Order: sequence, then C-alpha cells, then structure tokens
Amino acid sequence: MLDRLTPSGVAVPAFLITWSLVVILPLLVIVLFSFLQVKSYRVVYVPTLGTWESVIDSGRWIVAVRTLRIAITMTLIELLLAFPFALWLAKGCKSKPAKAIIITLLTIPFFLDTSSRIIVWRSILGTNGIVNTVLTSMGIVDEPISWLLYSEFAVHFGMLGSYFPTMVFPIFMIMSLIDDDYIQASSDLGASPGQTLLYVILPMSLPGVVAGVVFTLVPLMAAFVEPQMLGGGFVNLLGNSVNSALQELKYPTAAALSTIVVALLGVCLAALILITRKRFDMSTMFQAIRR
Amino acid sequence: MTQGKFDPRLSRRNFVESALSLSALTAAAATLPAALPGMSQQAWAAGAPVKGYGVTTAQLKDWSIMTKSNGVTMDYTPTNADIGVFMRDVMSNDLGDTHDFFIFDGGTEDVLGPEGYYAPIVEDHPELTLWARTPDTWKRSDLIRADDTQWGVPVIGNGDAFGYFPEVIGANPNGQDEIPWTTFFEGEQVKGRVAIDRSWLQSMSETANFLKHHGRAEIEDPADLTQEEARAVADYLVERKQAGHFRTIFTAFEEQVQLLSNKEIDMINCWEPATRDANLALGPGTVVYAFTVEGYYKWGHGAYVATAAMDRDNVDNIYKVLNYFLGGEYRAYQAKERGYAGPNMDLGVEYAIEHGWPQEDVDLLRYTAEKVERKFEKPFWGKTTPSNADVMEEEWQRFLNA
Repeated sequence: MLDRLTPSGVAVPAFLITWSLVVILPLLVIVLFSFLQVKSYRVVYVPTLGTWESVIDSGRWIVAVRTLRIAITMTLIELLLAFPFALWLAKGCKSKPAKAIIITLLTIPFFLDTSSRIIVWRSILGTNGIVNTVLTSMGIVDEPISWLLYSEFAVHFGMLGSYFPTMVFPIFMIMSLIDDDYIQASSDLGASPGQTLLYVILPMSLPGVVAGVVFTLVPLMAAFVEPQMLGGGFVNLLGNSVNSALQELKYPTAAALSTIVVALLGVCLAALILITRKRFDMSTMFQAIRR
Repeated sequence: MTQGKFDPRLSRRNFVESALSLSALTAAAATLPAALPGMSQQAWAAGAPVKGYGVTTAQLKDWSIMTKSNGVTMDYTPTNADIGVFMRDVMSNDLGDTHDFFIFDGGTEDVLGPEGYYAPIVEDHPELTLWARTPDTWKRSDLIRADDTQWGVPVIGNGDAFGYFPEVIGANPNGQDEIPWTTFFEGEQVKGRVAIDRSWLQSMSETANFLKHHGRAEIEDPADLTQEEARAVADYLVERKQAGHFRTIFTAFEEQVQLLSNKEIDMINCWEPATRDANLALGPGTVVYAFTVEGYYKWGHGAYVATAAMDRDNVDNIYKVLNYFLGGEYRAYQAKERGYAGPNMDLGVEYAIEHGWPQEDVDLLRYTAEKVERKFEKPFWGKTTPSNADVMEEEWQRFLNA
C-alpha cells in the first residue's frame, strides 16, 4: 500500500514550482533589493553597492558573526540538555500521565508571547532582583552581580527556555519510534549501557537530532526578543539589526542583512550535511524506522 | 533615477477603492435623506466623528471630555513614536483615506507636506478661533512648518533631558539645580548605571550638543549631523560604552518606568512622564527630571490634516478639534496627566481655576508653564527627519554593535 503513495510525475514538479514561487522567488527579490538604497524614506531604484558598503562600515557584519556564534553555542547547549532529557522521556519515563504533563509543559513557550515570558527575567536577574537580593542578604556576595542582566550571559539564559522544546520534540519523537527490542537485544548481546547508547540509540536517533538542530538553529539566527530585553542593547543580533533597519524604512539594509542570515544558514546546513553524511543520509530523515 | 513626487489622491489603492465604491456611495447618497427623515445634510456632517491617528502621548486619557466641550466625537488610534512606522502608514498604507488628522513629532511635514499627504492649515478657518492668539513661538515653530507653509497646529512640546536620583549625585532634592550633561556621560557617581535611549534621533543629538557645548567636537547642527560629525559623536559614544558607563540601551516608555522604579539605573535620558510614573511607585520627588546646563532635545507634536480629509464632510469638526488642542481644557489635562506644556498655557491655568481644580493642580499648571519658559532659555534643538538621517542611523549602528 505504501508503494502506491509514490509521488507521481506531476506532484514533484508541481511542488517544486509552487515552492519556488512561494519561497525561492521572494528570497531572490530580497537579494536584489539589497542592491538598492533609501533616501529620505524612499527607495531609490538605482542599482548600487552602497547598502552593502554601509553594512560593512556600520559594523553590522560584526553582528552577523556574533549572531552565528551565539546561535551555534545555544544550539550545542540545547542539544546537550535535550538529548538525555528526550531519552529519559521516551524510554525512561514509564508513567503516561507524567509524560503527558511534561509534553504539555514543553509546549508552553509556543503559546505564550515571548516578550511576556522574557520580561519576567528582568525583575529576577536585575541588580535589585530576586537573585541578587537573596545572594546579598545571605552574604554570599558583597554587592549585586551586574552581569546577571544586560549581558551575553542573560541572553543565553533567556534563550534556554525558548529553544529547548524545538530541540527536545524531534529527538523525543524519533526516540519513541526506536523499538525497545533493539535496546534489549543490545543488552542481551553484552553491550554496556554506554555502548548501547553510542552504537544503537545515537545512530537511530540521528534524524531527530538533525531535525532538532535545524529547528533550533534557524530561529536562533533571527532571535531578537531575548537580546533586546535581556541584552540591554549590548548584545545586538541580526534580528535586532533587521528590526532597526525596518523601523527606519531601510528595506535594502534589511534585505542585505536577511541575505546574510540565509547565506549563513546555508553554510551551517551544508556543514551539518557534510559532518553527518558518513553516518546518516539526510534523505532518510523523516522515514519511518522499520524493523 | 529617484522616485518622483506622487499625488496620494491618484494612488493605485485609491483608484481601485474609488472605482469599487463609487456606485455604492452614489446609491447611499440617494437613499440617505429617505432613510433619515428630518435630518439635514449639515446636521449629518455636524455629527460626524473625527478620526485621528498619532502618538499615544498626545491623546487625552478620556476623549469624552472633549466631546462634552465642543460636541465632536473622537475616534483616535494611538501609535508609538516610531518615525518609520508612521511614515510607512501614511505614505504606503494611505492612512489619509481612513483618518482625518495625524499627530506626530514635528518634522514629518518636511517630507509629507510637499509630497501631498498633509493639507496646509487654513489659518483663517472659522473654527480655528484660537489661532490668532497663539504665540508665534509655538505656531511658527520650524517643527510644524516647511517651505514657508503652515502644515501643522502645535499640540504639545517639551525639552527632553534626563531623569536622575538627586541623592546619588548630591543634587538638591527640590529638582531646581542645573545638572550638566557631563554627569550623564562621564559622571563617576553614575558610572555603569546610566541608561541611554536606543533612539538615535534623541541620543545622538543630545551627545552632539554636549560635545559641541564643551568644544570637544565641531558640530554645526546637533540635530542633523554630517557624516564626519556623526562619526565623531559615535566614536565618543563607543568610547563611553566600552568604558562601561552605560548599564543599558532602552527602547520603550514602559522600560523607562521599569528601570527607574526598580532603581536598576541612576540616570536615564527618558521622557518626562516616565519620571512621573516612577514617582507614583517610589514616592514624590524621588526621581527628578533635569534642568540642564547645556540644553535640551526639542520636540513638539503637531496635528496635521490629511489631504484627503479636506474633501470630506467633517472639515469643520476637524478644525474644531485642532482648535481644541490650542485651548485651555486640553492644555490643563495634558499638563496634569503628563507634565507636558503647549501653546496657550495661560488658558490652561484659567480653565483649572474656573473649573475649581485643587490649588495644587493649578500650581502644577503654573509650574509647567514656568518650566518650559526656563528651558527655552537654553539651547534647544531637534529634528524628526534630519536630512542626514541615513548616515546618522548608520553611525548609531556602529555604537550599538561596538
């Protein structure tokens, strides 16, 4: 029956054409727009490199590097936290109600406004916030720790909760599909828990890991709420820079920055494919795991 | 090739909308007298509400006060002070089709007036009765005029400086001391606890005026910096940022209030109402809005009539509203609720006395008038749409990204 679902000769070209019109074409327009300029709140339709030159002169390229660094760091942190958590949730947590509650709790970031969630941290991490008040009143520190807020630490901290679910869910789902018999067989054949993890679970959950990395890294490249609210203007990321350009109606600048984001993402994904290609074929990422 | 001027009355969207609605309007006009027997066309127009779009700070907290006063119903859509959003809404979204007037920072008329989005003010309109007695200081301000044309009516204005905690810098708690901007940018007492506005229009101009005043940079107009001037200002700000002088770069009004209320910072180049709101939580006089040595960032909100509105039936009502902005009631409420001054402050004081406001409110109105007069004695600068906006924004990005 599954064989009958094979895409027809029409479906694939139709999809490619539609996708090109909906996604690729706007991207091309964005790239072309970056070669225009704005004067007095009006776009000047004369091709120029001025926008790209100003992106370099104003240091916006530094923002691109900073954004990439923070996005990759956060993706790695989320992966290190999410992998064991997903493994426990998929294979260790036997209580169905507990599992249901945890999964529900993980969805909270998806239906709460990011700003509302993040702004709370200000009153917790500020110099007169809860953390500093506790630390100073207990005599652990002599004066409030200022870097808890308006710093890269604060931005990383704020992003933890926002991007944890996007990493956990794909890994959890793929791990749930791994037949317990495989794990049992590995154990019966004398493998230690570590060997089972390394040679059975990890390879089989790699599609989920790759999906988690993609779903986490991509939105991180465009993050602007956490840096704006917890970075205090000192952790300017590409999302903030694009936002700032749009506020001034500098569409070509926003287009140039968006082009940088897309290019960086392309490089990251290409690197990911190269790194994982020996162990994992990307085309099998969403195929069902069969015995 | 640049885009030429274009007439918003002939825009694509207007054309399509006009074509679609022409027959419906004709039919409605034909049936209206029958549907509303006994109502003349004049009476119909007199009841037409006025639709405004503009900054939050210009609105009355309760517009029904105005309706009781002049009979006009207001439908006001508030927006923030984001120049880009405002320009986009007026220029690209044809806001004049749906709204009768706009209130925004003076300066937008430099672009939107000559481009045809704003209609020139009819100074002798019969409903604009307070125009003649309005001082030229307000009504002839370059913030509401361009190309020798009167595009706007002054609504409110102020000289922006910074809020501070007097005890931190050893200033007189009565708030009457002149505090130098040097303290804001370089004061050791506040180092690491200064918040600076993310708006380059305000922060770059204030920094430029400070540097100019002390002869540390050659600057012609602090509100409109050339490439070299903007670079010098950004270099200075980067140096201060890297020296750890700033605690945060804030964006919103609510953030200003929060930073002050939490005492997260000691000094902030905020809006004056933020200090008032913070004092509601901290107690009167805890935070003071500064009188400065070097001067103030000048801003004024103007009310501008949409060109398309002049062809509608409620022009008299629009002008009644414009006149209201010049009157005592609006003046009194704006000063009481936000601490902002505006034209004809004396009428505000008169209104408060006539309507039996408490003496402390009357005193506050008098103080608001005196405060603005005192600020006017210092250098005053500010532009919403500087001609060098592009280079200023780019240099500001350098500061943000440093």
